Amino acid sequence: MKSTLHVSIGGASRVLTFVISLLIACVAPQVAIAAPAKSVAATTTSSDSIYSLEVPLTDQSGRAFTLDAMRGKPALITMFYSGCQFVCPRIVEALRKTETSLPANIRNRVPILMVSFDVKNDTPEVLRAMALERHLDDSIWTLARSDERNTRKLAALLNIQYRELSGGDFNHTSVLILLDADGRIVGRTSVIGKADPAFVKLVAKQMAATSP
Amino acid sequence: MKTLRAFISLAATVLLVCVHAATAAPATARIPGDFGPPQGKPIKAVLTSPPHVPPAITRKYPAKVIVELEVVEKEMQISEGVSYLFWTFGGTVPGSFIRVRQGDTVEFHLKNHPSSKMPHNIDLHGVTGPGGGATSSFTAPGHESQFTFKALNEGIYVYHCATAPVGMHVANGMYGLILVEPPGGMAKVDHEFYVMQGDFYTVGKYREKGLQAFDMEKAIDERPTYVLFNGAEGALTGDKALTAKTNQKVRMFVGNGGPNLVSSFHVIGEIFDNVRYEGGSNVQHNVQTTLIPAGGAAVVEFRTEVPGSYVLVDHSIFRAFNKGALAILKVDGPENKAIYSGKELDAVYLGDRAQPNLSAVTTATAAAAKGNLTQQEQINAGKVLFTGTCSVCHQANGEGLAGVFPPLAKSDYLAGDVKRVIASVLHGLSGKVTVNGKEYNSVMPPMNQLNNDEVANILTYVYNTWGNPGGRVTSDEVKAVRAQPPVARRAEH
Amino acid sequence: MTLRSRSHWTRVVSRGLFSLCIGAAVPAVARAAGYVSIAAGEFASVLAGDTEVKPSSVPAFAMRTSPVTNREFLEFVKRNQGWARGRVSRVLADTQYLNHWRTPRELGDAALADQPVINVSWFAAQAFCEAEGAGGRLPSWLEWERVAAADTTHTDARPNPAWRAEILRWYSTATSVTLANTGGTANVYGIQDMHGLIWEWVDDFNALLVAADSRSQGDPDKLQFCGAGAISLKDRDNYAVLMRIALLSSLKAVDTTRNLGFRCVIPVSKGPK
Repeated sequence: MKSTLHVSIGGASRVLTFVISLLIACVAPQVAIAAPAKSVAATTTSSDSIYSLEVPLTDQSGRAFTLDAMRGKPALITMFYSGCQFVCPRIVEALRKTETSLPANIRNRVPILMVSFDVKNDTPEVLRAMALERHLDDSIWTLARSDERNTRKLAALLNIQYRELSGGDFNHTSVLILLDADGRIVGRTSVIGKADPAFVKLVAKQMAATSP
Repeated sequence: MKTLRAFISLAATVLLVCVHAATAAPATARIPGDFGPPQGKPIKAVLTSPPHVPPAITRKYPAKVIVELEVVEKEMQISEGVSYLFWTFGGTVPGSFIRVRQGDTVEFHLKNHPSSKMPHNIDLHGVTGPGGGATSSFTAPGHESQFTFKALNEGIYVYHCATAPVGMHVANGMYGLILVEPPGGMAKVDHEFYVMQGDFYTVGKYREKGLQAFDMEKAIDERPTYVLFNGAEGALTGDKALTAKTNQKVRMFVGNGGPNLVSSFHVIGEIFDNVRYEGGSNVQHNVQTTLIPAGGAAVVEFRTEVPGSYVLVDHSIFRAFNKGALAILKVDGPENKAIYSGKELDAVYLGDRAQPNLSAVTTATAAAAKGNLTQQEQINAGKVLFTGTCSVCHQANGEGLAGVFPPLAKSDYLAGDVKRVIASVLHGLSGKVTVNGKEYNSVMPPMNQLNNDEVANILTYVYNTWGNPGGRVTSDEVKAVRAQPPVARRAEH
Repeated sequence: MTLRSRSHWTRVVSRGLFSLCIGAAVPAVARAAGYVSIAAGEFASVLAGDTEVKPSSVPAFAMRTSPVTNREFLEFVKRNQGWARGRVSRVLADTQYLNHWRTPRELGDAALADQPVINVSWFAAQAFCEAEGAGGRLPSWLEWERVAAADTTHTDARPNPAWRAEILRWYSTATSVTLANTGGTANVYGIQDMHGLIWEWVDDFNALLVAADSRSQGDPDKLQFCGAGAISLKDRDNYAVLMRIALLSSLKAVDTTRNLGFRCVIPVSKGPK
């Protein structure tokens, strides 16, 4: 695991003519399983964009949406779980401080998406309670959850590792990821508890690149 | 007035600039060994395969050096007729030699060849940083990792793979040396060599033919099958021996990859003028044998005065003669009788261990595998093997030593039961024995290191030489005798 | 009826019912390999997990008898063009994806039909398994490890040195130019090729959380792994399994390698069909 700031520049976007492929999906006998994430290729999706993967999510107000709803503006994305005592509060701090460290004209304006590992416990109600407790502004902070399969897929996409332990806690890596307006990963930092100056610079740059 | 004002503002500016420059000065040498940011264009490091060493660094400033090292899992010979799947840095055991200057910023690229089965990483003992780089270089097959470090300490350092299980990766040959030169460079010498000792653990016995697998039990018990310089028996002997001339200064960078054994490094016939023991900064003089810890290195220097073959050994001597820890430095030049008058070293000491021409043995092995081994091939192979193993006591002419070792020439013992003869070789013989009318009372050790083919070939040679009855001994006959438990023999008369 | 024969019949019946379910649920065109059901059971994983001393309980599932082959994966690509080489997103498969096939839709001579498919990413493997239907997915590490522990006669052959030696023999041989076909000797569960052919993806490969510098096992880095530190392995001597974990933990989901393929499992349905 690299703990240094890792910058990946998205490749040149290609013009693709995709046909949306339908999987031959049978009716799954299990209950409460979302449709498996399909690899949907729309004409405007860059091949490096994480929005290539359709991930269904539910936020703290119970609203259902998909990952690519974040498209159009740069975004900060990470994974956590509400029961996490030690590290996740520091992830929140890092995000908060990153926002406030930005230049005045874009301060507190970058959308944040935090997705929970804890499929069992982190219901929209629990997420809502956490948002209130930590004073997380709904207009910027989205706390969301998905089902087990899609959570695993999202973590794989973001290169985040996690494992459920027997007590209900999770072992996981902590990283803040910066997406550009098209959903390409353009920055990562493992600095938590405070803002990473190099990462803040990247965020500012992305915001400047997409502002009207 | 105007001039004065202009002068004052100029002085003030100059003062400000100076103060600013002083306070904004780059942090030179705040950390010892840090000579500031890299200068000049990035340099691609020259890596060499053992026993060669890259040329000395002549630049006088710290630079950015790019090192590209590839991990390849490769089947190679570990001994004649014995192969092993080595995991290598740069395709060799030990891996490529890396040479940088103290204060250099090293951008390290570790590539893992797509055909590799295992992930690998690298821990360089010269790196100040977590895991020596291992945490940042964990690389899956078909991928590449990069990390950068500043070489703060000068010295000679081991690098090795640190992927679990670490002992196995090291035992499979994943180690090498990195030299961080002092800023002033090193004293000039005529030759620099790269030698690295390692212990190897195979499921089969020493010199058991075929592809051998790694044996974890033996590794944990620290019972190596081979102890070798540069990854193979004969890697530095015969036509692959190191060479120098008389009156030259030789420097050897000697590493010990382990994984387990400590080396008692000695060059037979030479005394080390200088030893940077443990590879550190202190130098010892006039050293006969120096200890090189597992995962450590040393630099030894000496002058060559007299021509001859100088044997590099681990002086835990059974490793040299029974496990292969033996290398040769061949020095050519005019004799210097004032320094040394005697005969060549290799006749007595080495036997067939340094014998360059084991081709007769190879021919016999190949023929035996095909099933068309001839008696002459056996005799040829047996002669080579006899010279190394048996001639030490029974002499090259088969005469033995009066009162001590029985003769083999025209021996009535040999004319007797062939099974008894085979048993003597396999299980040894002690106590009184009469041969050709004379009594001998000594100990012949069991020849455990010989396999059935080798015993058969040696005996076939002996039976066909010095007036002995002739005929041949087959591998199967030897196998049959070996299968019988050795009877406590009282020598017959 | 003795307890033993009762569970035996239960297994037979459930296996039969299960096969029926599978047969009904998945269109015939989807797959050629068979699935074998593995009954629920307890298993002592080599991963100590979070100081668990008791063995883990593994629910029943059905597993493919052999890894997915080139032929099967080609059929999948033909039906799901989005997964063809060159069309799939770079975040879902890297540049080496299926590069041993002659063209994105043809195998060619370097990729024999019955060889296990290699150079596939975790996403591609998951998509294939999901296309099998009935909740198909990659096996979890625990499911894989449990089946891999078996030899031809025992469900847990790990104490037997011959089991370990067989695995280590594969580690000691160079990657040969020609990969063998699937369909080797089956173990006691009826599953083939768990060892000696290729590495295989698992569903939770990114849950293995092994520190990159494996010497720091047991040295918890709270900040990196949120509390419990990197996974420590219970049985260090079982290094044959350890090496498999090392390989999986060195990968990202998008990676492909020449020695890595996969097979699928279908979890046993909990509710009535």
